[in-house]
Amino acid sequence: MSGGHGLSLTHIQAFLVFAAIISIAFGYLGRRRPNDRLRYILWSFFLFLAVGVGIAWAMYPFSR
Amino acid sequence: MTEDAQLPPSNDPVPPSLPPTGAEVESVEPVLRRELRSWTFAIAGWLIPGLGHALQKMWGRAAIVFSAVGLLVFTGASMRGNVFASNGGDAFDTLGYIADLGTGCFYFVARALETAGADVSHSQGDYGTRFLATAGVLNILAALHAYEAARGRKA
Repeated sequence: MSGGHGLSLTHIQAFLVFAAIISIAFGYLGRRRPNDRLRYILWSFFLFLAVGVGIAWAMYPFSR
Repeated sequence: MTEDAQLPPSNDPVPPSLPPTGAEVESVEPVLRRELRSWTFAIAGWLIPGLGHALQKMWGRAAIVFSAVGLLVFTGASMRGNVFASNGGDAFDTLGYIADLGTGCFYFVARALETAGADVSHSQGDYGTRFLATAGVLNILAALHAYEAARGRKA
């Protein structure tokens, strides 16, 4: 993971790390009860992934 | 003839502007104190991520905010993202600087971590720039949450 340009993450790794950190923070700030938090974190993480992959596929025709 | 002229004359006396009673002064003072306290929590939370929640004994949220902002800053700076300075050349630099300042004391941590400077010629540096900006915006959001919680608006 470490290269000549500092910490080196692939696009998908950076995307997953980003989505996980933000989802956990949102879950803790937005909900109070542990069950609600867990559900919110999972839902938020899933939406990050869905939107990210969706945008990637939407841009696919323009990549070549 | 206007509509006012048709109305019968009112017998109600014009209410005089009396000085506030003791009870009114007492009810205003806690509101001001609470407002001051809320702003203190918000500013504390901005300067040191999570402190606004820690002062309200919301330990879990404080730890998560501190860890999330810290991790984002550490990752962003390690990926050699751009930590914007105050002498930015255009509006985007200024916006980036405002976002980076949102991390509070972590702004200086990011600058200290990036001894080799930013490198946005690779995608890593570009991702790092986003991580740093997101850390700032997330911390501002958390500081606002601490403010709202102190006012009793959010649990």
